[in-house]
Amino acid sequence: MSSEGAPAIKPVPVPDEVTAPFWEAANRGVLAIQHCEACDYYVHPPEALCPRCQTPDLEFREVSGKARVYTHTVVRDNVTAGFAEDEPYVIGIIELIEQERLVLVANVVNVGPEDVRIGMPLRVTFERLTEDIALPQFEPDGED
Amino acid sequence: MDGFSGRAAIVGVGYSKLERRSPRPLAHFAREAAEAATADAGLTIDDIDGLGTIPNIAAYGNTGDLEGIDIVTVPKMSQLLGREHDIRWHVQTPGLCPDTIMAAAAAVASGACTYALVWRAVNVPKGRYSDFSLARAAGEHQFRAPYGFTMPAAWQSVALRKYMHDHGSTREDMAAFIVQNRENTQLNPKAYWHGTPLTVEDYLDAPMVADPFCLYDCDIPVDGCVAVVLASAERARDLAQPPAYITGHAQTTWPTRGGFTDSENMWDGGTAMGKKLWASAGLGPDDIDVAMLYDGFSIFLYVWLEALGFVKRGEAANYIASGATALDGELPLNTSGCSLGEGRLHGMAQIAEAVLQVTGRAGARQIEGAAHTVATVGAGSLASGGLIFSREARA
Ligand SMILES: [Zn+2]
Repeated sequence: MSSEGAPAIKPVPVPDEVTAPFWEAANRGVLAIQHCEACDYYVHPPEALCPRCQTPDLEFREVSGKARVYTHTVVRDNVTAGFAEDEPYVIGIIELIEQERLVLVANVVNVGPEDVRIGMPLRVTFERLTEDIALPQFEPDGED
Repeated sequence: MDGFSGRAAIVGVGYSKLERRSPRPLAHFAREAAEAATADAGLTIDDIDGLGTIPNIAAYGNTGDLEGIDIVTVPKMSQLLGREHDIRWHVQTPGLCPDTIMAAAAAVASGACTYALVWRAVNVPKGRYSDFSLARAAGEHQFRAPYGFTMPAAWQSVALRKYMHDHGSTREDMAAFIVQNRENTQLNPKAYWHGTPLTVEDYLDAPMVADPFCLYDCDIPVDGCVAVVLASAERARDLAQPPAYITGHAQTTWPTRGGFTDSENMWDGGTAMGKKLWASAGLGPDDIDVAMLYDGFSIFLYVWLEALGFVKRGEAANYIASGATALDGELPLNTSGCSLGEGRLHGMAQIAEAVLQVTGRAGARQIEGAAHTVATVGAGSLASGGLIFSREARA
């Protein structure tokens, strides 16, 4: 149930022992994705074991931040605190160029909701949420 | 076919009334459905010695889980039925109802219990259905809630967008299914949307929830319960109704990575499950007379029609729009209206209608001579399951 009268704060990520390097990098303005050296495979969201070869020895690798819109939705009716004011807003399923079907969730920003297209080239940008947390977000990449 | 095929059956189906925001506690809906299912089988409550349910709350977010109000667990049901001392076997499964039904089927076939009651009781929670009200997003939520990706409707709408892009389908194509489904619903007096027809224009003009999903791409939340009674094939023959023999079954362990971020995962998981389902029964798509495919969100129809091999990848939208899935088509689909028309019962609508059709008890919407029916539940990936029901114990 929503707590009436409370300020509208977007949910803040809570890093854990597996995901902490992702958020530490993001806080420095770097997009780092978990990578399995053993089978040369990127994994997101981060996992304790590689889903392909089951090794626990996974590291985080800085990636280009270049991506495309894999698919997206335009949300017009969400009561989650902190979002109602943003409607309509775009949630993108973002495919990073480093690997087929390597996708993450982010808002597609600095573009009108009606102008977002599947396949649109994007680049990472960061939205500061708190002193410790910056969210990777994506905006159109005009260079393509 | 595998060694389990035909060894257990669903012998009774029972519904509570389906309402919205009822003042009655959910426990009373559950007892009503349990009594109806038991009576349908020609049994009494004192015959029930096995219980199985999915005790999860219905909503996503930070809602309550009050026993008897938001959930009805096995212990509560044993009290409601006055069977606290007499239940020989029970199970509570996370996820969706095919897991529970398969566990109960194995229990009655093995003799661990004689008559097992399986139910799913769901309510319309107070406030909004999807209300992620936590200020901190931990675990699987940390990569989606901070972005406002906090509604199941949004998680699934991205799959429809990708489908429309990849296969050239339109909202008009989906409207054809939604309208057909609402027509089926008019032949189902139990359904929440019974008495409320819907036109193509109603669908196309409906408020967008998560574009391209509008209101009618989402099922209708209800307060209600559906229960079924299971028995071994031997016992099933002597009861009040014709048995719906379970001749095929499949469950999937396919992970749902990242909370439905990669919608192709639904097709990958569903396809893997479909192969197991057909193999277990020794049947194929052409053998099925009526299909009840999960429809918590509209896109799942496309997933299941393609994953089970009824049509090739990318052809589901055209297939539905052609009329092939109407009551008089080659593959009548979701004849009761299921989740989109009857109500959000998390797959029990599919199970119940697949049983009613294969036993010739579907009333005005009965498909004559239905010998094999299929029901699937879930999004194709984790927690999904499917069952094939047959009129004869040996498919
Ligand atoms: Zn690996």
